[in-house]
Amino acid sequence: MLVLSPAMAYLVFASLTLTLAALNLAFQNRSLQLHKYHYVGLDNFVRLFSDQRFLNALRVSAYWELLTLGGTFLIAIPVAVFLCERVPRRYQNPICLALMFPILLPRVSVGLIWRFFYAPTIGLVNFPLTLLGQRPVDLLGSIYSALAAVAVADVWQWGLFFAVIILKLLGTLPAAQIEAALIDGARLWQKHLLITLPMLRGALLTMAFVKAIESLRSFDLIYTMTNGGPGIVTETIDLYAYQVGINLSGRISYATSMSLLLLILTIVVFTVLWRTTRRLAK
Amino acid sequence: MTIHRDSSRAIPADRRLRATLGQRSATFLGVFLLLLVAVFPILWTFLSSFKTERDIAVRIPKLFFEPTLSNYLTVLNSQDVQTGLINSAIVVGSALLIGVVLGVPAAHVLARYARRIKDDAQFFVLSIRFTPPVAIALPAISIFQWTSLTDTLLSVILVYSLTTISTLIWLGVPAFQDVPVELEEAARLDGLSSWGVFFRVALPVAIPSLVGALLFTFVITWNELLMALILTSKNTTLPVVAAGFTTLGMEVPRGLINASAILLALPPLLLIGLVLRFIDGFLEKKS
Repeated sequence: MLVLSPAMAYLVFASLTLTLAALNLAFQNRSLQLHKYHYVGLDNFVRLFSDQRFLNALRVSAYWELLTLGGTFLIAIPVAVFLCERVPRRYQNPICLALMFPILLPRVSVGLIWRFFYAPTIGLVNFPLTLLGQRPVDLLGSIYSALAAVAVADVWQWGLFFAVIILKLLGTLPAAQIEAALIDGARLWQKHLLITLPMLRGALLTMAFVKAIESLRSFDLIYTMTNGGPGIVTETIDLYAYQVGINLSGRISYATSMSLLLLILTIVVFTVLWRTTRRLAK
Repeated sequence: MTIHRDSSRAIPADRRLRATLGQRSATFLGVFLLLLVAVFPILWTFLSSFKTERDIAVRIPKLFFEPTLSNYLTVLNSQDVQTGLINSAIVVGSALLIGVVLGVPAAHVLARYARRIKDDAQFFVLSIRFTPPVAIALPAISIFQWTSLTDTLLSVILVYSLTTISTLIWLGVPAFQDVPVELEEAARLDGLSSWGVFFRVALPVAIPSLVGALLFTFVITWNELLMALILTSKNTTLPVVAAGFTTLGMEVPRGLINASAILLALPPLLLIGLVLRFIDGFLEKKS
């Protein structure tokens, strides 16, 4: 028991201190530059819900969750099924190695790589357009495509990574059981949709759960690719909290109240999904 | 079309033998496209990091060009990047060391002696891993202001240690659970102390899984941006320096940005083979 204590003591001490500090800050009107501050009660939280920029950030975060979570599985499942059915086992591992590259990259590098890719006039994405004599498009600069363009980079990382995991999970399923369950004449997609994927539902839900929470913290990718722009079209909650608390105005109390709401949101997602995963996995 | 439908009924091994030329080339094309999507963006940036600014700023992308090392030389000679590199090494190294020294023995205790609180402890540890970084760093900055630790490496190390300890406990518990209990009991009967059991029996058996956990922890701390960005301003880490190239409104040449993106990505990418082996082992155990 003695060995357990230093590690756990540090974790408990730090999370208690941080929670107390966060609560304390959220009820003040402290800013980083000024030394005078006082308690303002629930003012910060009240103000949040009439702050158009915050409501925008909530909306953007919700879209972002949907785009990245949906996109990831839309890519991962078909890719995994394709590799499982068509590629012999001994070739699967080198392919997996290549598919793992994107997820290991630092998000900052991913942001820089895709920014270069999307760059107007010199970016590769625009090369086919300029070849046809069209005007180059600035996907990250347009209010219609910016969020989706950043989401592509996220799905590039997570979709391919989850494809590897699903492929490996498919490989661990007992073949005899699948054959037995296989109704004669079932098509390939029927086999996977009706038999193998339901067998993996516990694991798939855990993955969705991990991805949902990872998506709530995509600051680094969005920051390097658009910095919330154009305007505030891609500004998620953590981005806005950073802008308010550190970068633009240093209103750390207001930013902290925002991050507390983000924390509550995470806890809700975490608890709901944790419970559902547990129940459905049984 | 009939061939196609027939083949999907057969068991996979059979079908592969009967795969027609058309099917095989379709598979080949599919795999090729997949690999292209996965690797090409990285490769393109890698290639462009050896280009001069004149070779980058062209409408028709150049595949053949005279490679130059000047981007890397400029980046590596820049004071910001040098400081960032050294700071990253210090911060990630210290946080990992703290994580290993405190977290790994704690994982062993949780897996072996503290069965009753294990689930609650695992939930607690996991919830730290999932706390939004901004909700950690903002209150942390007020604490560090109060203790005059703002903009120091120590402040980043203290915060990163939360990540490393919790991640190593979270992944270390299953690793130690896989060590046969009989092995540890036999060692105890032979008169080993609990430290002896840990160092001479449990640790050597669990080490392959623990290395995987350590790699994972290294990758997430090396790649971290937001907390370092909030906690430091001058005395900062490599991801913050690299991200600053695009957001500070400076006119940084593309070649330099590409070179620093590759430089930052190099350490995690070098570990890719080991990471894949770890995933294999992890999934094998689960099934």
